[in-house]
Amino acid sequence: MSAAVALPTVRSFSTRSVPVGVVISFAVVVFVLAWSFLPGFFTSHDPAVGVPADKFQGPSSAHWFGTDHLGRDLFARVVHGSSSSVTSALIAVLIAVVVGGLIGLVAGFVGGWADTVLSRLVDVLLAIPEFLLAVIVVSALGFETINVAIATGVSAVGVFARVMRSEVLKTRRAVFVEASYLQGGARWHILTRHVLPNASRSVFTLAVLQFGFAILIIAGLAFLGYGDPPPASDWGLLVSVGKNYPLAPWLVYAPALVMIATVLSVNRISRWLRKTD
Amino acid sequence: MKYALRRVLQAVVVVLLAYVFTFVVISVLPGDPVTNTLRNPQNGFSEEEIQRIVAYYGLDRPVHEQLWQSLSRFVVGDLGVSLRSGLPVSRLISEVLSSTLVLAASALGVALVLAFAIGFGTQYLPKRYGQGLLRAFPSLFLSVPNFVIGLLLINVFAFQLGLFRVIDSEGGLATLFAAIALGIPVSARIAEVLVANLDHESAEEYASVARSRGLGRTGLLLRHLLKPSSLPVVTVVALAVGELLGGAVITEQIFGRTGIGSLVERSVTTQDLPVLQAVVTLAAIVFVGVNLIADLVYPLLDPRVRLGESRSRPKVEVAA
Repeated sequence: MSAAVALPTVRSFSTRSVPVGVVISFAVVVFVLAWSFLPGFFTSHDPAVGVPADKFQGPSSAHWFGTDHLGRDLFARVVHGSSSSVTSALIAVLIAVVVGGLIGLVAGFVGGWADTVLSRLVDVLLAIPEFLLAVIVVSALGFETINVAIATGVSAVGVFARVMRSEVLKTRRAVFVEASYLQGGARWHILTRHVLPNASRSVFTLAVLQFGFAILIIAGLAFLGYGDPPPASDWGLLVSVGKNYPLAPWLVYAPALVMIATVLSVNRISRWLRKTD
Repeated sequence: MKYALRRVLQAVVVVLLAYVFTFVVISVLPGDPVTNTLRNPQNGFSEEEIQRIVAYYGLDRPVHEQLWQSLSRFVVGDLGVSLRSGLPVSRLISEVLSSTLVLAASALGVALVLAFAIGFGTQYLPKRYGQGLLRAFPSLFLSVPNFVIGLLLINVFAFQLGLFRVIDSEGGLATLFAAIALGIPVSARIAEVLVANLDHESAEEYASVARSRGLGRTGLLLRHLLKPSSLPVVTVVALAVGELLGGAVITEQIFGRTGIGSLVERSVTTQDLPVLQAVVTLAAIVFVGVNLIADLVYPLLDPRVRLGESRSRPKVEVAA
């Protein structure tokens, strides 16, 4: 019997028609994800080695995004940079979902003093401005891109914990959960069978939204130079280096536009997911 | 009243915990940054001064004693001493506080103006032309990194048009543009809520009644829709305070301003931990304080909301 019941999370995707904007957004995100996992597949240029004679060339068919002060192909640098920027954002969201989700789950499901203690911790995490929190965590861990990802994840733990807790509380009070208890359902059964599937939809939507924000926060931290130093080419770092050459504005605009297109698409998808709820 | 008291108490606890939390995060640091910073010849501390600071922070004692000591100092308002300059942290902060307050307040002003312009625009523009574009603004604003906005503004208005200079950046126009850079992402959050509320309210029956009585669009907007739609903005603004303080780190760096944000940035590079801890705690105080006030004042603005009621939900205990 239980195998035949589809999880409520899967149902609503297939039945509705998808708006054009969302399709484009999915295409952009898939493209950027492909860049980040297979950068070598999309560009033959080396992101770290340039041809000095070709420096400061504007965008052309040979160099789509132009070249930088060392004659390196900017498109190659953006594509290779996405593998650290986008992967970092994924790691950050993963940390936030797992840690925040666990905190919220325990707080909401166990209740009592565990709820009191964890809720105060979440209050603290939410009280410190997200970006400042990320800054102090990364400065505590050391200036590396992986630490930037961890810091960004930590800064979003509070949001996920709060959403997870409220979802768990909502489900725990539902009549069908009460019925399940009365039928002799074990706590573990209730948790995995009812509470988690019901909470997962909201958490997933939030995770998509947070993925976009994480890209922005990571870019901000990289911009301030808290990630790997050059020749790494995180998007934020590319803008930060590019701003020193005002006569080659593409050095700022190309990575910035890629970043904006990505985050815009992610936000669009997240908004669509919320609406189809 | 009892509710207010409980909320104040809760806020105080959160602030104290925020201090402890930052302390813990900072002491996770590998190595011994405090001693490293102190012994760094660049900072030019004499052996005596080093001994004095080590004794002050109890650096020769276990971590929990250090925490206890700095916490008991914090409670009476002592924020400690900078490891870089040896000056009291409270002085370093108060020197730059006003600049950041001006920036943040102007940014909030910019954000409100923009948000209300977008909100009103969606009510006036015809559905076909312009409205869709206007509705896309908030999500666009939320998708642009604030340093890109800042660089764009500087490039166009400082370099191309020469309206202000980035070097002596405390001037009026320079502050305005910095405020725009900081305020745009915040305006998006306000506009999102405002637009949704205006749509919701204008579909209510009382709005149809007012329209059928011949009330024009402006009259309807100003007399009926504006107040219920803009009240929730109070809550959004309170939540956005954190974003203003966090965003100031980047905005101040780009616009070459000295403020809390640039103090944070400098303290991060020099590992001046007491300063970082103080600023973060201060940000938490501001955030918690503003949100506390917003929550307490809200029912006075909106009589439909009563304090405490939503909080005292009957607790359902699940039989295990």
